[in-house]
Amino acid sequence: MKRFFLLMGLLPLAVLALGACSASHAQEAVPDEQPITQAVPTLAKAVMCEDIQEFKPKNASVVFSISRGKVFCYTFFDPVPEQTFIYHQWIHRNKLNTKRRLYLQTPRWSSFSSIQLRESDKGPWRVEILDQSEKVLTVLTFSITD
Amino acid sequence: MKNILELFSGIRWQDILDIGLNSYILFRLYALFRGTHVLRVIIWLALLWFVQRISVSLGLIVTSWAIQGITAMGALIIIVVFRNEIRNVLQARRFKSFLWGFSSKSPVTPVEIVAESIAELARRHIGALLVFPGKESLHDAVQNGISWRGQISKEMILSIFWPDNPVHDGAAVIQGQQVAEVGVILPLSYRKDLPSYYGTRHRAALGLAENTDALVVVVSEERGHVVVAKKGRMRTVNRQEELVEILRMHQGISDDAEERRKRENFRIGLAAFVCLIFITGVWFSFTRGQDVLVPMEVPIEFVNRAAKMEIIDSSTSAVQLHLSGSASLMKSIRPEQIRVRLDLGSAGVGENRFTLSRENITLPPGIGIKTIKPQDIQVQVDVPLKKTLPVQVDWEGRLPDQLIMVKATPFPRNIEVVGPSQVVESLSAIYTKKVMLPDLQGSGTLEADLDLEPSSLKIAPGASRRVQIAYTIKEREN
Repeated sequence: MKRFFLLMGLLPLAVLALGACSASHAQEAVPDEQPITQAVPTLAKAVMCEDIQEFKPKNASVVFSISRGKVFCYTFFDPVPEQTFIYHQWIHRNKLNTKRRLYLQTPRWSSFSSIQLRESDKGPWRVEILDQSEKVLTVLTFSITD
Repeated sequence: MKNILELFSGIRWQDILDIGLNSYILFRLYALFRGTHVLRVIIWLALLWFVQRISVSLGLIVTSWAIQGITAMGALIIIVVFRNEIRNVLQARRFKSFLWGFSSKSPVTPVEIVAESIAELARRHIGALLVFPGKESLHDAVQNGISWRGQISKEMILSIFWPDNPVHDGAAVIQGQQVAEVGVILPLSYRKDLPSYYGTRHRAALGLAENTDALVVVVSEERGHVVVAKKGRMRTVNRQEELVEILRMHQGISDDAEERRKRENFRIGLAAFVCLIFITGVWFSFTRGQDVLVPMEVPIEFVNRAAKMEIIDSSTSAVQLHLSGSASLMKSIRPEQIRVRLDLGSAGVGENRFTLSRENITLPPGIGIKTIKPQDIQVQVDVPLKKTLPVQVDWEGRLPDQLIMVKATPFPRNIEVVGPSQVVESLSAIYTKKVMLPDLQGSGTLEADLDLEPSSLKIAPGASRRVQIAYTIKEREN
C-alpha cells in the first residue's frame, strides 16, 4: 500500500518531466522565433493618494486640492521575480512633467512617487506606470483643482 | 519732357492693341455712316461728351450733370429718329463690308442726257420736277413715291412728264444712272418773297431744297424756264451747258479723276488719323488721368495644394493692397477682378513661409500696385490623421473638505479624433470642458462636452462630442 502511494505520487512528476523535456526540444527547434522572456513584476495595485503612511496609501482619490501641497502615486507589485525598476511618468495636459525611476526588490515591493503642487499645476493629470522596457502597465488619471 | 516720358512709360503691347482696335472700330463706324445725318449727330455727341469731361475736371457740377443728361438722351434720340438711316446702312451692306472696304460712290448720273432732256422739256413747255439727292436721305422729307428704277434716257424722262402720264405731276428722283422714283410729293415752301409767276412746282422744289441738301430742277410749264433750287435758293438756268455744270458740281464730279481719287484718299486718311487721335486721347484720359491710390483688402486664395494636405493655419487670410491708377478705372473695378493667389505646390508638412509679390496678384489692365501688406505669409500645412484617445475629466473648483472623489469614469472611455498629424500625434488624451466640483453633493452621473483644442481637432464622424461621467464621492478618512 505504501508502495502504491509512492508510485501514484511519482507518476505525475514523471509526466511533468516528460512534458518539460518535450517543451525544451520544441524551443531548440525554433530558437530564433521565441523572444527572450524577461521576468516582469506584476502590478497588484496602483492609486493616486493624498499621503503615504506606513507604506500604504491614504485617501486614494481622483481629485486633489492644490491646498494639500502634494500628491502621491502609489504602486504595489506582487510578485517581483527579480530586482528591476519601473517608471512613474507624470503628464500634465498632454505634456510630460516628470519621469521617475523606481527600483523594485523581490519578492514583492511597493513604491511611490510624488510631486509638489504649484498654482500652475491645476488641471487634468495622468501618471503612466511603465515597466523596465517602458511598456505601459497602467494609467492613473486625476485632477488638481483649487 | 519728363512728364511726357512718364505718361508714355509702362505702355504695354496690350495697350497699343487696345488703342488700335478701338480706333479701327470708330473708323469703321465713320466709313459705314459717312454722308448720313447719324454721323454728324454722333460727332456732336462726342463733342458734348468731351465738354462734359472738361466740365467735370473743372468742377462745374450742374453743367457736367446737364451735359451728361443730354448725351444720354442724344444716344436714345439717334436710335429713334435715325432708325431708318441706321437700318439702310446696316441692311444694305454685306458682313465683310462692316470690317473692310468703303462703300463705292453711287454711279454717276449721265448729266448730259438729263440736261438735254430738261432742255427738251423746256422747249416743249412740259412742266417737270427732278430731284437729285445729296448726301442726306430724302426718306423723311418726301411722300408717296412710286418705285420706277428705269435706266435714264431722254425718251423716258420726256415720257414721265408727258401731260397724259398719271405720274407727271409729281417729282422724279434721279439716283445714279436710274430714275429711282416718280410721282413723289415734295414739301412746299412757305416763303412769301417768291415771284408771283412761281407755281406749286417751284414752291415744292424750294421746300425740299430748304429741308435737305438735294438739288431740284423745275421746268416751268407756262414759261418754259428751267429753275434750279438748292440750299433754299432758286436760280434760273438759261443755258444747257450751265445746267450740266450745276449738275456736275452737285454730284462732285470733277474732270480730273486722279485729283478726285486723291481727295477721297486724303479724306479717308484724315478720318483715320482723327479716329486714332480721339481714341488715344480717350485712352489716356481713362488710364493716366487723375492717378489715385486706393486701399483694398483682398482674400488670399491658396491654390495647388497637394491632395492629402490640409491648411491648418495661416498668419493671415487676407492682404491689404494699395492700388494705383486713374480715378475712372478705379471706380470701375469689381472686387472679383482682383485676386491674390498663393501657390502651395512647394509646401511641405509644417510651417511654410511665402513672400507675396506682383506675380501672385491678378489686376485689371491699367491698375498698378504700390504696396502689399503683409508681404510675408506663414502657412501651416499638414496631413489629417485619425487617433483614438482616452477621455479624461477636467475638474474645477473644490469639494467640501470632508468629501473625497475616489472614482470618476467617463463613457465612452475612448474617442476617435481627426486632425493634423502634428497635432494629433502630440496628444495622449482628450479632455472634457471644465466640470464644476462644488455642484456635486454625492455620487452620481453627469454629462460634459469634450474640449476640442486646437480648433483644427475634430471628432471622427459617428462619434459624439458629449460624454457621460460616473463619479463616486465618499467621506474622507482622518
